[in-house]
Amino acid sequence: MIRDITIGQYYPGKSVLHRLDPRMKLILTFLLIVTIFLCKSFFSLGLIALTAVIAAAISSVPAKMMLKSLKPIVIILVFTAVLNIIYTEGGTVYFEKWGIAITEKGVNTAIFTMIRIVTLVIISSLLTYTTTPTMLTDAIERVLSPLKIFKIKVHTLAMMMTLALRFIPTLIEEIDRIMNAQKARGADLESGGIIQRAKALVPIFIPLMVSSFRRAYELAFAMTCRCYTGGEGRTRMKQMKLAFRDFSALVLCLAITAGVVVLNHFFEAVI
Amino acid sequence: MSFAIETVNLTHYYSKGTVQQVAAIDNVNLQIEKGELVGIIGHTGSGKSTLISHFNGLLKPDSGKVLVDGVDIWKDKETLKQSRFKVGLCFQYPEYQLFEETVYKDIAFGPKNMKLSEAEIKERVLRAAEFTGVKAEHLNKSPFDLSGGEKRRAAIAGVMSMEPEVLIFDEPAAGLDPRGRKDLTELIKNYRKQTGSTVIVVSHSMEDIAGMADRIIVMNNASVAMQGSVDEVFSKGGELREMGLNVPEITEIFAKLRARGIDVPANVYTVEQGEKILRSLIEGRSAK
Ligand SMILES: Nc1ncnc2c1ncn2[C@@H]1O[C@H](COP(=O)(O)OP(=O)(O)O)[C@@H](O)[C@H]1O
Ligand SMILES: [Mg+2]
Repeated sequence: MIRDITIGQYYPGKSVLHRLDPRMKLILTFLLIVTIFLCKSFFSLGLIALTAVIAAAISSVPAKMMLKSLKPIVIILVFTAVLNIIYTEGGTVYFEKWGIAITEKGVNTAIFTMIRIVTLVIISSLLTYTTTPTMLTDAIERVLSPLKIFKIKVHTLAMMMTLALRFIPTLIEEIDRIMNAQKARGADLESGGIIQRAKALVPIFIPLMVSSFRRAYELAFAMTCRCYTGGEGRTRMKQMKLAFRDFSALVLCLAITAGVVVLNHFFEAVI
Repeated sequence: MSFAIETVNLTHYYSKGTVQQVAAIDNVNLQIEKGELVGIIGHTGSGKSTLISHFNGLLKPDSGKVLVDGVDIWKDKETLKQSRFKVGLCFQYPEYQLFEETVYKDIAFGPKNMKLSEAEIKERVLRAAEFTGVKAEHLNKSPFDLSGGEKRRAAIAGVMSMEPEVLIFDEPAAGLDPRGRKDLTELIKNYRKQTGSTVIVVSHSMEDIAGMADRIIVMNNASVAMQGSVDEVFSKGGELREMGLNVPEITEIFAKLRARGIDVPANVYTVEQGEKILRSLIEGRSAK
């Protein structure tokens, strides 16, 4: 059913990764992603891939769930691999026919790119697996708060994000309900051409819009009643404090980035 | 003669195959006769909505069967489609399904999907509107301009206009004031009287159910815990209370009167009934 879709895939746990300060996690994730793109040789990529795997292992997120986050990118993986194999040429030729040449360099590039994408997905899903959506938006708000000097309303943006995340399951439930109600009146959502199907969505879409606006007004009203006036002078229930482990993690990640740069220097570049 | 609706070992799970798998209805066997007005009661989460969503094929059974008029509705695609028109389902808060530009068009949505002729559609829309008390001058208004109660009536008309053989209401009075509740109960009773169709009403309110049902089905923890006439079900107050339900308030009052040694009957389920009995009792006393 439609509600089985999961967004904000937090996996509750008590690992070090869960306990890291969300702000630090956000910054470190960003640092590691940049590092992935610095990699040039298999050795430097190997280092960062190993880091990702070890991090996944200590995160206490089951391997099955990690694999689940890789499922949506399988098509992209296959696609880039095929393109790389076909279009990159150089080195020993393994196979040549119908104007297609499979070369050593092509295969290497394909493998390199695949590892790179998988590492990227593992690292970024680790962030969402070990941080609740609210903590994450909270962290984004604070990390971005220096942007205030450019008159960007960071708090408002973060609040919007939190609310959007909060209402996704509600909206999915609502869609489910409206769909059932219209189906009960004989609405046919499954057959017909593309235009007919688009038309069939009108009876779903309009009630959804109407109730979303109603919800938005009610929410705004409720927030006003509780004296919400925006970010100005707002304190927090959950204070974030950087601990020793956060600085250790920072040092570790910086070391990995340095390692990647050094390895790049000593080994042959693949791309 | 076949039953209007029959379920055979009907079972449905939510979140199947995950750790949260729950049987929302478990091995339910029910028969609903043609022309009956059946009330379904049960605590929140007992599986009432899940059960009735099977009657028109919105949910597919994980095991077991649903027979409408003796035919398995999952036999083929056409039968399933027809079951949607044979069994009309009016959800809780039906006003949230309104979408058309005008009330008229919205009520016509169901009949249109049935591919009826323009004349037939018009006839049905007007009939349903009159029945539910949607005012003629509202038909060309936007449904979003109506008041809450009027919206509810328009939405109910949208299901009634399909003129289904079985009409099901899920908590039809939810969120209405006492006056609205009473009007709606009258409306459902009248509908049954005039059309002779089978009607199923899911409700939280024992009073509403007592006032209209021929038979009551009690759901508890995904199964049918009890069924029988209003008398039979409400005479088992103890069992009902164990399931988080109750008997109508007036029945309790009469039970307390009896406990004080006042000679009144135990099987009083509606305020009207109660009023009559109390009046004759008072008159009897003042005559002495
Ligand atoms: N779409 C759904 N997904 C998962 N569980 C559900 C869903 N709908 C209902 N349930 C669960 O199934 C059980 C029966 O629900 P429902 O049929 O709505 O009960 P009722 O209408 O009697 O309140 C409840 O435990 C409820 O939490
Ligand atoms: Mg319900």
